[in-house]
Amino acid sequence: MSGRRPVVSLRRINAIALNTFTELTRLKVFYFLLLFALLLIGSSALMARITFQQELQVLKDVALGAMSIFASLLAILATARLLPQDVEDRTIYTILAKPVERFEYLAGKLGGVLLLLALSVLLMSVVFFVVLFLRQQTLLAETARQMTGLPSAEAADAQANIRHAGVTTTLVLAIVIIYCKAALLASLTLFISTFATTNIFTIVTTVFVYFIGHLQGTAREYWLQNAGSTVGRRLFLGAIALFFPDLQLFNVVDDVAAGAVVPVTLFAKTAGLGVAYTAIYLLFAWAVFYRKEL
Amino acid sequence: MTDPAVALEKITKTFPVPFQRRVIVALRDVSLRVSTGEIYGLLGPNGSGKSTTLKIILGLVSPTRGQVQIFGHDAASAQSRANVGFLPESPYFPKYLTAAEMLSFYGKLCGMRRRELAKRVDELLELVGLTAARDRRLGTFSKGMLQRIGLAQAVINEPEMVVLDEPTAGVDPAGTRVIRDLILELKRRGVTILLSSHLLGQVQEICDRIGILANGALVRDGRVDELLIAPDQTELVLEHASPQLVDRISKAAAEGGASVIRAAPRHRSLEQVFLEATTEK
Repeated sequence: MSGRRPVVSLRRINAIALNTFTELTRLKVFYFLLLFALLLIGSSALMARITFQQELQVLKDVALGAMSIFASLLAILATARLLPQDVEDRTIYTILAKPVERFEYLAGKLGGVLLLLALSVLLMSVVFFVVLFLRQQTLLAETARQMTGLPSAEAADAQANIRHAGVTTTLVLAIVIIYCKAALLASLTLFISTFATTNIFTIVTTVFVYFIGHLQGTAREYWLQNAGSTVGRRLFLGAIALFFPDLQLFNVVDDVAAGAVVPVTLFAKTAGLGVAYTAIYLLFAWAVFYRKEL
Repeated sequence: MTDPAVALEKITKTFPVPFQRRVIVALRDVSLRVSTGEIYGLLGPNGSGKSTTLKIILGLVSPTRGQVQIFGHDAASAQSRANVGFLPESPYFPKYLTAAEMLSFYGKLCGMRRRELAKRVDELLELVGLTAARDRRLGTFSKGMLQRIGLAQAVINEPEMVVLDEPTAGVDPAGTRVIRDLILELKRRGVTILLSSHLLGQVQEICDRIGILANGALVRDGRVDELLIAPDQTELVLEHASPQLVDRISKAAAEGGASVIRAAPRHRSLEQVFLEATTEK
């Protein structure tokens, strides 16, 4: 057991992450949440039918919205209980009494939640794509039947529109963005739970930050427009943005659902932002937890 | 010269009282040493600072003042815990894991490799008498079994020292005896043991040295046999002594300027009676 130890051990992080994942998958409440989300995604095919394209758009709107809400909810609820539960059960003592760095412990806990989120988002995506694909195929068949006798260019155009509104690779990118947002929220929740005294405090505070995050972009633009942009104001807003992420940027998912053309670079930037915030909140959590008296 | 297993130098720990200017002093100028290979018992009433001392040794709490070294390493570093195992008071382990899975998890945290770990898990389950319960979920374990599997996780990486916080709290006498035997087995294997307990009889029986904490201060520290000696008294245990013989001895003692303080039938310990009764066939 002697010799130099690596500063951060991926093996230990991995062990804690897998254990956390197992712990979370044993909680029945998340299955109910997941079932609810899957039912919502599945039933989105039965929503309003106006035109073929609109039908697919409503389906995507409902399904992506359900995925986003469920993933966010799961990220907050699953993470909020991790640290307090370990302290209450005294498992944290047996873990940290081993040669485990506190950063490894936090990274492992977050890793477990990220795994759970990945699995949940994957499951929802499969249901979503199956429902969307089946509906798209039905609509293509119906269109072909209704357009029999019309010029072939017109029929091809209608079918292309349906395909454009159906299963596309852009949807995969939108789902990645949903996952990145959930990861950001999980990391934020972990950070808050390092200094919170109860689960409820952690959940309520994270929900507040969530709403502030969604509103701050609009508030910032309004303020800068009315009061003028100075260096001081920009620095202040930068500091605010560090603690309250601009979650409106993740609304790019809505544009995808609406069928707008979204450049890949915007996806990359948004995903990068999500990853950066996840890392920053993990570092914040470590800064608080590093010398925390247990 | 080898480093002591534990070296506490003038440790003071205070906890601030929220929204007030005063602080609570949990430990004041505590210095103690635990040598390698010995069993050291930390005693004290509730709130005397035992758990805080153990937490400081394990790096879970930082001292306000003073130095703590574990095998020559600063207790704040994770390196100091590479050779230490810990069993907290009334531990809870994930109910959803089996005994073998739980030991594997803690082994991985110690950086153990898969093959080495599989062998060690079997060995430890055998040592703590839980081989038959290897694939049982911990949720179905009794308190005594949990303590034993807890002890097994504490020694998964063959540490040089084990810290046990109330290792027999809430365990029945038979289970207590099993744990005590395990502790003695660890000592036989050369493991240093630092334990805190309220069970004075048990501490007296197994510890080489003890320290007594009261109000955050170490008020006694030394070898058990030395601390228990009443220098001005001599114990004489007689077998088959008639009352007349006892009377003559009392008179002889009085002639020699001494006095017999107590002459009564010798009692066995309650533990001996209990174990005899409960293991009778």
